[in-house]
Amino acid sequence: MALLEVRDLHKSFGHGRTLTPAVRGVDLEVDRGETLGLVGESGCGKTTLGRVVVGLQEPSSGAIYFDGELLDGKMSRPEYRRRVQMVFQHPAQSLNRRMRVDTTLAEPLRLLKVAPRDEVAGRIDEVMRLVGMGPDYLKRRPGQLSGGQQQRIAIARALMPGPDLVVLDEPTSSLDQSVRGRIIALLRSIQEEQDVAYVFISHDLSTVRRIADRVAVMYLGRIVEIAPTEQVFKDPQHPYTKALLSAVPSMDLDNRGSRIILAGETPSPSDVPVGCSFQDRCPLVHERCGLEEPRLVSLGDGRKVECFAVTDPN
Amino acid sequence: MSLLEVSGLTVGVEHSPHALLRDVDFTVEAGQIMGLVGESGSGKTMSALAIMDLLPAGIERRAGTVRLDGRDLVAQDRETVDRNANDMTMIFQHPRSALNPTMRVGRQIGRALEINQDMGRAAARSRATEMLNHVGIPGADRVARAYPHQLSGGMCQRVMIAMALACRPRVLIADEPTTALDVTIQAQIFDLINDLVEETGCGVLFITHDLGAIAEMCDRVTVLYGGQVMETGDVRQVFTDSRHPYTQFLFDAVVREADPSVEEKDVNFALQGCRFGHRCPYAFDACAEFPLLREVDTGHLTSCFLHQKENALGSA
Repeated sequence: MALLEVRDLHKSFGHGRTLTPAVRGVDLEVDRGETLGLVGESGCGKTTLGRVVVGLQEPSSGAIYFDGELLDGKMSRPEYRRRVQMVFQHPAQSLNRRMRVDTTLAEPLRLLKVAPRDEVAGRIDEVMRLVGMGPDYLKRRPGQLSGGQQQRIAIARALMPGPDLVVLDEPTSSLDQSVRGRIIALLRSIQEEQDVAYVFISHDLSTVRRIADRVAVMYLGRIVEIAPTEQVFKDPQHPYTKALLSAVPSMDLDNRGSRIILAGETPSPSDVPVGCSFQDRCPLVHERCGLEEPRLVSLGDGRKVECFAVTDPN
Repeated sequence: MSLLEVSGLTVGVEHSPHALLRDVDFTVEAGQIMGLVGESGSGKTMSALAIMDLLPAGIERRAGTVRLDGRDLVAQDRETVDRNANDMTMIFQHPRSALNPTMRVGRQIGRALEINQDMGRAAARSRATEMLNHVGIPGADRVARAYPHQLSGGMCQRVMIAMALACRPRVLIADEPTTALDVTIQAQIFDLINDLVEETGCGVLFITHDLGAIAEMCDRVTVLYGGQVMETGDVRQVFTDSRHPYTQFLFDAVVREADPSVEEKDVNFALQGCRFGHRCPYAFDACAEFPLLREVDTGHLTSCFLHQKENALGSA
């Protein structure tokens, strides 16, 4: 049984003429101790999906099962909030800059009332060890820490209540390249030790490749392809995945100019075409794509793709 | 003779001994793309601003020349420099903040033509629409009447490029033109710049922190660190046979994710000597002096005493 199961999830903002669907029918599972990478370009709905899973936003429709139990308005319960935590993109903004590190770390336990007061200090020590920071940082405030250290404290705070799932929203995007590598290594070692599952949201494909077990590619509020990481990178199926991967500049001097250039831009989420949402930019588009909505179809080897040209070539 | 030749460019903060750029040399050839790569704060944008004569208040150019076709741009008076918009233009990192939010984009492009090419208003307007069409904007008529906030980031960057190219400049300076954009849009903009170079034969100074973008786009590359040129040469030379310890470290950080061993040395490298000295694992006595660029291979230069020492030892 999967730890997290999302079924036909929708989330829209606004109403009437301004109705903007951000997530349009997403199905996915996350297993215990696994990392699911969620990639896509700005506005594809990856952050909204992450926020709905954590319970920061109510879904418009659809079902979320956690540990087999249907969460229906139960997301604000302390028990769920203890088990599902989130790390945000900008640590400087997600940490209270007037709060010392030790207070910041104690806060989730205090609010969720999951541990007696005399166990808090021990838990803080353990979590600080997990993120590789010494006890002398406990008395500092966020302004006295570097960006990488701040993000490690944000990760430590998420780990405090002992979650089963952490949603990480672009956790390394605001950090320098060398610091980025260290945070990824840290997240991997924490996962090995604590058996925690990650949903790792990022637009940076090379970072996702280094941490994720499976990758879901989103476009205009839908998952268009989901597969084990190496299969996505070595043998992408969906035409959007192919274009996205080929657009990343590579250091390979012998492979210049092999990019797939997509026409146009992602349509506005408030103006999604009928049928396949990628049809206007797709090199493989044919008549059916404008009539019918493709669905995620399993290719049988752990891969699922949402494209008629791939799943139903005739 | 090179199209654009920057030599000995030194820029600093007024009333401070610290230099932001020290003795920067590089050239841009017609029909070629020269990459300028480095970490944040390495002086990439400062170099571009110094070339464009757009240095912010409080920052002064202390030495150096900028030559376009052998013509010294620095020595000229202010008015002549302004008119050089026909020679040299720049596209900025954040297109939306570089465009005027209160003016329709077609008019903004038109103004560039009226001022620099003495065009009439009507002619400038139709040429502006033509330019928008040229940079791949669908419905150019409609977009010309839009304000920047009504356009996407990729669209705004195309408008910037259309504006920069409206006067058919000989040199285009692109300062991180795609950093704020998604990768598929970045690929479109790269494609557009490549086409333009092919078509107009202009030279491009392409500024980025992304080594992948350099590999995709550039013919030659200059690596900056702390306002000092570390290495310059053909992309293939610098990528496959990098000579400067800093360049090697930069590739390690990206390709192999190595952790730099930071060792403090007693020279104040910020004021004198090699800017990479305090982090360089090979630093030795000579590094307290400023290393000048020396050729290590045809067209491949590096500013490191290590090679000069090796060469000296080799010849001894």
